[in-house]
Amino acid sequence: MYICINPNQLKYRFYMNISDIFIRAGRNLRESKARTILTALAIAVGATTITIAMAAGNGGREYTNNIVKSSGDAYSLSVFKQPSTPEATSTTLPEYGVDTESESGQNDMITNKDIESIRALNGVQSISPMLDVTSEYVSRGEWQKKYVAPLSVKADRTKIDLAAGSLTDNMVAKGQIIISEAYVGIFGFKSPEAAIGQALEVTVAQNSKDGSKSSQLKTFPFTIAAVDRKSDTNLYYNEAVRISSEDSQTIYDFQSGELAAPQYYGMNVLAKPGSDVVELQKTITDKGYQVYSLEDQREQLLQVIDIAQWALIGFGALAVIASVFGIINTQYISVLERTQQIGLMKAVGASRKDISRLFRYEAAWVGMLGGVIGVFIAFLVTLLNPTINEMLDLEAGTQLLKMDWLASLGLIIGLMIISVLSGYFPSRKAAKLDPIEALRTE
Amino acid sequence: MIEVKDITKTFGKKQNVFTALDSVSVSIPDGASVAILGKSGSGKSTLMHALSGLDRLQQGQVIIDGQDILKLKEKDVDRFRARTIGFIFQSFFVTGSETTSSNVSLPLEIAGVRRGDRKRRIDEALKAVELTDKAGNRAKELSGGQKQRLAIARAIVNEPQIIFADEPTGNLDSTTSEVIENLLFDYNKTKGATLIIVTHDPELAAKCGMIINVKDGKIDSVQTR
Repeated sequence: MYICINPNQLKYRFYMNISDIFIRAGRNLRESKARTILTALAIAVGATTITIAMAAGNGGREYTNNIVKSSGDAYSLSVFKQPSTPEATSTTLPEYGVDTESESGQNDMITNKDIESIRALNGVQSISPMLDVTSEYVSRGEWQKKYVAPLSVKADRTKIDLAAGSLTDNMVAKGQIIISEAYVGIFGFKSPEAAIGQALEVTVAQNSKDGSKSSQLKTFPFTIAAVDRKSDTNLYYNEAVRISSEDSQTIYDFQSGELAAPQYYGMNVLAKPGSDVVELQKTITDKGYQVYSLEDQREQLLQVIDIAQWALIGFGALAVIASVFGIINTQYISVLERTQQIGLMKAVGASRKDISRLFRYEAAWVGMLGGVIGVFIAFLVTLLNPTINEMLDLEAGTQLLKMDWLASLGLIIGLMIISVLSGYFPSRKAAKLDPIEALRTE
Repeated sequence: MIEVKDITKTFGKKQNVFTALDSVSVSIPDGASVAILGKSGSGKSTLMHALSGLDRLQQGQVIIDGQDILKLKEKDVDRFRARTIGFIFQSFFVTGSETTSSNVSLPLEIAGVRRGDRKRRIDEALKAVELTDKAGNRAKELSGGQKQRLAIARAIVNEPQIIFADEPTGNLDSTTSEVIENLLFDYNKTKGATLIIVTHDPELAAKCGMIINVKDGKIDSVQTR
């Protein structure tokens, strides 16, 4: 038994306090500033690459989501009949006029029966059939010039960029119409603002029984609610005059005239906001329909971004691996330089654990410094977003590089751990130093 | 009480074997001032290393306060040194880049003294060696004598029972040497700590109460006054 004689010894603990070692480690590094910074910079190269990769992935994903959101309504599904491919497995195609199923087009149309069966599904808010409506001409009034303008139906809540006017919930109300900015001048409006509230007429021809156009025309009056324009984030903009689903139904009813039971080439299914669109899409697909959603396209785009991001992170990781050797080398030199200091510490009673901790914490400091420098440089790069937007001709305010601070913090901690691990051999060498050898007077 | 029984230390193997300590036995009473006197290569430093637990000998016993330190685990020997022993070296071994008080703080940190207690003890130790005004200076800015005074402060800050001084005045001029010697002997007398000076200088040895003459790895004679 060892007898305690000094009363102060009662206050002693067994090992050096971790914070004391950490402070000493930091102080040692400050003594060899150039070496510390150079080693840290090597780590920072990898850290910068990884952080930028994460920022690009982060910003890219957000940008993609924005594009998708403004290109379409996430809750909107386009549903079509599965194209009837008679004897799809056979190597021959049915011959026109000979085989019985040659009028295949008939089978591909959506009927009211289809609509009712889908409407019964959970999560469906509304269904609007895709109506093939075409206008004869569009004009501001009976005595005004008549223009042939494409007529299109705004069936979902896809966000559109407006030059003037406003919409409720991104939908057109009954009796209202949206015109493209390009048409403003053609129709003789001074500005997009001047067009708002003005009248516009759409004239439609009725089909005859045999499907050809008859000369019977009807004019439908509208009020201009908004003027839309192309935006960078909208993938599918086309110039047209846009009306609501309800009005398109009215026009269609007139246009189809005395045709038999109504048939549509497709239908737009709007899911209830907040419902599981993916699940609904699956259910409809299982019922034998072809379903297209923005989610499909979003996932494809995101996959591309993910691949690019991980490739960049891979390069960063390689740089980090290279810097590990720098850390090991620096640490070995540090052990050699401080042989006497280590010897003294051991003579004064520092344990192997204390000494190896001292060196491992030094490595942790270097790793942290490298990580912080790297993240900071990456942050500076993200400040170039406006320049990038200008170069790529993107909308102002777009953040293609967006810092992921939580992931950056994780990266710094990860680099500290890697540094500590790479400091293993040098710190073991230091811990094993013989104090007598280390303190031998030359 | 330090009791050394039959310790032997050899270097090298087979034909090149060199016996640094050859069956040495000696006992040192508590509070004594002891000089281990001998020429270089006599084994005096090896004896000091053995007494302080720095060297882990394969043969013999080093009993301090009834405990054979050679039988302790490495961890426990470290703890024993941290609590019981202070070291002073010929080349000072102060860390030049650190401040004076940080140098003195090291043994306290290693011994795990609480932060709150440290400042008072550092101040006391620096006061004892008259370096209070240099507390914030970097150790490399100090003169040789000041560095050795700093080393003494570092050695006594833990209030050790035993102080080992290996040629403490070897690198100093005679005036400075006297200051250092006085500090060491004062501490020995006022605190009752055992002072063990390793030296080749008979003049310095003569100031000690006990002289252990070492020659060729053996104790030649022990004089007490």
